[in-house]
Amino acid sequence: MLMEALLIGLWAGIAGIDQFNGLTHIHRPIVTGAIIGLILGDLKLGLMAGATLELVWAGMVPLAGAQPPNVVIGGVIGTAFAILTNQDPAVAVGVAVPFAVAAQAIITLIFTGFSPLMHKMDEHAKQANTDGIDRLNYLQPILLFAFFFIIAFLPIFFGAEQAANIVNMLPEWLINGLSVAGGIMPAIGFAMLLNIMFKWVYAPFFAIGFVAVAYGNLPILAIAIVGVAIAAYDYFNQNNTKLKVAGHSNVSIDDEEDYSDGI
Amino acid sequence: MEYNKENEELINNDIQDTSNDKVLNKKDLNKMVWRSLLLQSSFNYERMQGGGWTYSIIPGLKKIHKNKKDLSNALQDHMQFFNTHPFLITFIQGVILAMEENKEKRETIRGIKVALMGPLGGIGDALFWLTLLPITGGIAASLSSEGNVAGPLLFLIAFNIVHFGLRFFLMHYGYGMGTKAISMLKEGTKKVSRAASIVGLTVVGALVASYINLRLDWTIQAGEIPVDIQGEVIDAIMPGLLPLLYTVFCYWLLKKGKSPLALIGMTIVVGLAGSLLGIM
Repeated sequence: MLMEALLIGLWAGIAGIDQFNGLTHIHRPIVTGAIIGLILGDLKLGLMAGATLELVWAGMVPLAGAQPPNVVIGGVIGTAFAILTNQDPAVAVGVAVPFAVAAQAIITLIFTGFSPLMHKMDEHAKQANTDGIDRLNYLQPILLFAFFFIIAFLPIFFGAEQAANIVNMLPEWLINGLSVAGGIMPAIGFAMLLNIMFKWVYAPFFAIGFVAVAYGNLPILAIAIVGVAIAAYDYFNQNNTKLKVAGHSNVSIDDEEDYSDGI
Repeated sequence: MEYNKENEELINNDIQDTSNDKVLNKKDLNKMVWRSLLLQSSFNYERMQGGGWTYSIIPGLKKIHKNKKDLSNALQDHMQFFNTHPFLITFIQGVILAMEENKEKRETIRGIKVALMGPLGGIGDALFWLTLLPITGGIAASLSSEGNVAGPLLFLIAFNIVHFGLRFFLMHYGYGMGTKAISMLKEGTKKVSRAASIVGLTVVGALVASYINLRLDWTIQAGEIPVDIQGEVIDAIMPGLLPLLYTVFCYWLLKKGKSPLALIGMTIVVGLAGSLLGIM
């Protein structure tokens, strides 16, 4: 089983990278099922399991940064156990759930842990050291590969039950706490952005954008259109104001024109 | 203190080398399309795709900004919070690179970047995650379920023709559009940067309300009656109150000279404490 477990781990690692980088979608169950089928010597069953699991995950998509149960681990482990235990894939995917959850927890850890790294990148940016930025940007895919490899390897090699015990050793309060912290962290990113962009004259527009979502639940596109409308109004109004000021400083005839404009 | 001084520089910076020759060619743009595949390579909750976004346009920035100070300013600026749909990023790359090439004001570039990333994120979700993926996946699944190996092959080919076709098309389209827009808006760069800032700040306000997930999961007993603090108290005062307050608090701490790293530490403590107390 070692060889198969290693190959499955290898594929999970590659697919884990593809889920966030590259996005060629070789990480979807429809592809992963076939590959796992090939590794375990039953392509046909792999294809069928992949099809079932693809539909299971069809509705679970990453929207606005929120991550559903991990599709890579679900697809890989689900297919592997469907073939190994000769079960219906829709049932076998149940075996994959603790590992899909563990994978999501580790992704949360990585995404939280990479926040401080941004400040190392900032330093490189300050020095105009582009190679430094490049290097740091290659780090996370390597980590993702390693973690996905381990999480997929464990249940295949040690069996689902024992591997689940290992995976469940991750303390829940820690994972939950970090995921709560991760949810709040964009606030720091926005604060830094505001630190650069914010001027009191722009405060009303910030308020409009905020209220439109908080109270109005408008999509961002709608708000951007409102923003463009305000900006356009402001842009052309500035022109008018300037013309008027120029008009006043000239002769009184322009005043009359101003009135007629007003009516 | 140190931190804020740096940022003051970033706000008021003037471009030292203002020569705005066309230096980018098709090959450069294509190279940056490939780089865009690593947009999420340093994804994190604080800046999201900020690092990967910077990475994706580095070859262009290096070619455009021969002056080291200009390059450093541009890099620092792009390292800020960034998040959009990973398939539509090349459009933003194209527009922004055209603006960088023309040595537009940093304020304008920043505003346009923020104004584009938010809406494109939503459009991309609808187009790709909710349309392209279910269609190609669904058709492939029906083939695969009969044990036909054409399922996964067809899926990969169909999906990636659209995927890579769009990436390359949108880069060149964005670049062309950026160039055209610049020539149209030549008069009054000050007014343009003001307009860009207005749209940018409007979108940032919207992002603060939608991206930050800070809610209390806390019910207290008021006598006999359970009171849901988030649903019945905070949301009644103002929805999105906690994300707004936390952002303002972080902003204030930055102005006070606290480092962003300290803010990350503080946020992790808040998250762990909230989790241990069972109120978040």
